[in-house]
Amino acid sequence: MDKITRHWTLLTILILALGAAWMWVTARYFTPQDARSVIQAHTGFTAPNFTLTTAAGDALSLADFSGKPVIINFWASWCLPCRAEMPALQQVFSEYADQQLVILAVNAAHQDTTEAALKLAEETAITFPILWDLDGSVNDAYQVNALPTTFFIGKDGVIQDVVIGGPISPALLRTRVEKLLNSN
Amino acid sequence: MLPTLQLGPLALNTPGLILIIGIWLGLSLAEKRSPARGVPSVQLYNMSALGMIAGILGARLAYVLAHWQAFQGSPLSILSLNPKLLDVWGGAALGAAAMLWYSQKVKQPLLRILDAYTPAAAVFMIAWHLSNLASGNAYGMPAALPWSIDLLGALRHPVQAYEALAALAILGLLLKLDARMKSSGNEGAFFLAFLALSAASRLIFEAFRAEGELLFGAVRSAQAGAWLLLALSLLLLKKRLKLSAEHALEDKNTHGNRF
Repeated sequence: MDKITRHWTLLTILILALGAAWMWVTARYFTPQDARSVIQAHTGFTAPNFTLTTAAGDALSLADFSGKPVIINFWASWCLPCRAEMPALQQVFSEYADQQLVILAVNAAHQDTTEAALKLAEETAITFPILWDLDGSVNDAYQVNALPTTFFIGKDGVIQDVVIGGPISPALLRTRVEKLLNSN
Repeated sequence: MLPTLQLGPLALNTPGLILIIGIWLGLSLAEKRSPARGVPSVQLYNMSALGMIAGILGARLAYVLAHWQAFQGSPLSILSLNPKLLDVWGGAALGAAAMLWYSQKVKQPLLRILDAYTPAAAVFMIAWHLSNLASGNAYGMPAALPWSIDLLGALRHPVQAYEALAALAILGLLLKLDARMKSSGNEGAFFLAFLALSAASRLIFEAFRAEGELLFGAVRSAQAGAWLLLALSLLLLKKRLKLSAEHALEDKNTHGNRF
């Protein structure tokens, strides 16, 4: 019995010594990377910039809102969860308007009609900008595979969270906005 | 990376779906094997159901308590189906408490229960790494290797696949060891073996992950945590091994005296 436990102790020491050496060596050769220096539509990375035309005819870029917390909501008028979450987005936009919260509603115009989208905007009394992604290039850049998809971007331009699907609840929006406001 | 699976008009959340399948397969396997460990399948089933219900309620309750101001204006959000409104640690605490209560009620020792759940945990780990592969989370370091995957703008180590394969190997090894680890005085050893192997896997493959933090600028914090868990499980395994050998010796003596 003593022999077994002695062998086990030796094996444990050997495994732990090898493990410690592996930790030490790999930390030198495989240093963790800072994702913030890379532009990608994924949590932890810097959000890709884009320029789109608003429903009012102005050109808006994501870069215009540098230093402000931004929510980008990808939507279409035929998408029922998108329609259902519009009032929650508007409600939270109004609540945090004095804290410079920006909401950009990027309409998948390549799969939608501007008339139907504007009708929905009117019905839900949206006051944040609606942007037309006419060729779907921004949807592609953000790898949007399902609507709605919502990106939460911090003041530093880094994506803090992505919510795929909906309808998103006002409480979830508030908790994410609070996190954006508290980020650097 | 496949975050959503399009089935006609339905867009399914692939990582979530993989996790649900993993939980279901894992629990089915555990229920099938638990009677051999002295835990009737029905007890394990009831405990799992109770743990899941308590876990979900606890997760939502903890989230609401932590962010109660966000729910003040819209209390109906408490009933939202969105899993992002869950607190993992709150859920784990209440789920574990409910399962512990049930195990006491049916007079099953904790170590035996942990052993009975080990196959489920091993299957869940495979599902966890595959769900990371689907979501693109826990991604690897850039590397130009024949087996690198194009992920997040670079060719990278498919570290999620490495970890899924390691988890599969751990499951295979545990199923092979299962029969040998049922002797008296050995309760808990099966679970500890799973912990040790999983910690070793994390210690090895964490090195290939792109994300991470250095502890004191010297080692990755996740690796340090895995190393400590490995040390603890090996130490506890030694105790179980010693206890098991003592039981075997006692059995041998009793057997010898009788005949």
